[in-house]
Amino acid sequence: MSASQNSNNNTRVTLNERLEPYLAIIGPLVMIALIALAMGIFEPARYFRLSNLNIILLESALYMPMAMAMTFVITQRGIDLSIGSVAALSAIIVAFLIKQYGFPAWIALIIGVALGAGMGFINGLVITRFRVPDLIGTLAMDLVYRGFALVLAKGLVLARFPELVTEIGRGQAFYILPTPVVIGVLSLIAGYFVLTRTYFGRYTIAIGSNPEAAEMTGISVDRHRVYAYVLMGAMAGLAGVMLMGKLNAIQATSAPYFNLHVIAAVVVGGTSLFGGRASMLGSFAGVLLLSMMINALVTLRIEFFWQSVASGVVIITSVAVYTWLQKSDRDGATGLMSAFANPDNVKTLKLAALLIGILAILFISGGLLSGNPNPSG
Amino acid sequence: METDKPIIAMSGITKRFGGVTALDDVDLNAYPGEVLAIVGDNGAGKSTLIKILTGVYQPTSGAMFLDDAPLTMSSHSEAIERGIDAVYQTLALADHLDPAANLFLGAELTKSFLGMRFLDNRKMRSESVRVLKDRLGVTLKSMDVATQSLSGGQRQAIAIARAVRHSDLRVLVMDEPTAALGPQETARTLKLIKALKAQGLAVIVISHSLDDVFEISDRIHVMRRGRCVGVERTHQSNRETVLGLIVGAHKAA
Repeated sequence: MSASQNSNNNTRVTLNERLEPYLAIIGPLVMIALIALAMGIFEPARYFRLSNLNIILLESALYMPMAMAMTFVITQRGIDLSIGSVAALSAIIVAFLIKQYGFPAWIALIIGVALGAGMGFINGLVITRFRVPDLIGTLAMDLVYRGFALVLAKGLVLARFPELVTEIGRGQAFYILPTPVVIGVLSLIAGYFVLTRTYFGRYTIAIGSNPEAAEMTGISVDRHRVYAYVLMGAMAGLAGVMLMGKLNAIQATSAPYFNLHVIAAVVVGGTSLFGGRASMLGSFAGVLLLSMMINALVTLRIEFFWQSVASGVVIITSVAVYTWLQKSDRDGATGLMSAFANPDNVKTLKLAALLIGILAILFISGGLLSGNPNPSG
Repeated sequence: METDKPIIAMSGITKRFGGVTALDDVDLNAYPGEVLAIVGDNGAGKSTLIKILTGVYQPTSGAMFLDDAPLTMSSHSEAIERGIDAVYQTLALADHLDPAANLFLGAELTKSFLGMRFLDNRKMRSESVRVLKDRLGVTLKSMDVATQSLSGGQRQAIAIARAVRHSDLRVLVMDEPTAALGPQETARTLKLIKALKAQGLAVIVISHSLDDVFEISDRIHVMRRGRCVGVERTHQSNRETVLGLIVGAHKAA
């Protein structure tokens, strides 16, 4: 009886409401389309060559398992800055096991992933037991793991590994798709099912959405936070081994910017840094977007150093756009149209236009003033 | 209904925190199919009383009885097992999850696949629709939305549904259910409370709004400075009497 009262005044589902859940994934897809369009105009021949697409996929594959795990960590309102060092340390220990102690490659690989998981476990304990905030805790552990890697390897570059190792780093066992791409995509698919179909995934969202409520309903919050860091560590360990196979070499200073690259990909993909909103498909798109963008800059022969500028701008833009879209209009309605109606948002828009203008001027002048990137010998 | 035995009876409950006496010799009875309102000024002991009732705190002295059997609870989850649950003012909802996920949060339904247990989202959704409709008469236009996009009243309904999902729920405590709601949403929430009452639950409502209290309650339990200063029958009382008891101007009739 009272059902009608609760439902009949707004039974109509508007286009905005239909669109809203997918906004997160639309963002990176639009950016991917824009890059593809721009490259289609400027450098279609070189960019869309099969070998170049292969390079883009190979480049992004390395980050896919980590992006999957980072989606869980960030959704729980956490962050992990230590993944680069975890990857390097795991890979170096694996390298020593293979080269110096004659371990079979497959056993060494399993040990590598397990080592990563162990380091993630330590991160989790530092954060949940010692109550060190994620940002500081993992930043400090980053130094610790990097230090161990340097202590172990000194300045050595360990190179030339068995075929199994290079196979998972750059093999082509699946015809068109490189082996690491298959590993990366499978890990993301597995991540999607874990996120939507398991206790761990459900509680990850609940913890990020409302930690107090999660605690109240009897979810053991700390335990599930540790799980996320263990998963993150294991995937970083895997990525370390993949990197080692890709380069067929590893040293203590390898993988310096894994953390920022992966966090950028996940955030660009629509997973909220404020917790609770996760998008596994978005993380996939984010990883792809960053690789496409970097590859595009290389193809356009833009100086290497602009890559870092471009990555930063993409991150700020995507986070700002999500926040901007979250704003409601004066009637409290949310959605695409109401975002434009909010007076605060209009001001933000003008500021953004100004910043984009300044950046464009810098970019153009940078392009004009930079020297010829071709080797001069 | 007054001739029924109380579902739950609290007798001579005292609670001290160090040297502070939060509750002093309080009696409380809740009957099936009744709405009992607890009113009182801030610091009168309402919250402490319901926290003891829901197992969050343990009384310093005094006894509780569930269906005449002595009742001791060491935790809130034990209270839920005994059929006593609470809906808090904050509602404790995970806003990014859909209504069904919130309804089953912490007690998810699963199905087995290849020897592993996975969440049964479809079953949770159909069960949620059923609980919301049958117990509360609420139909959401879509179950496939984040809970944050729902109205205050709908969110309240989901929080209540989470408690009444347990078919053995008998006592539901609601802390300021209408405090954050507009007039229309308040009317809907009061309707939900009446529906629960009609199903034979004992509903205990803490409220500051005497309007709401007089609209829905059968009895009013007035707290003042840690003591129960009067239990009024709503239809035989009036606002002046209750207000007088709250501020300590007159003694119970």
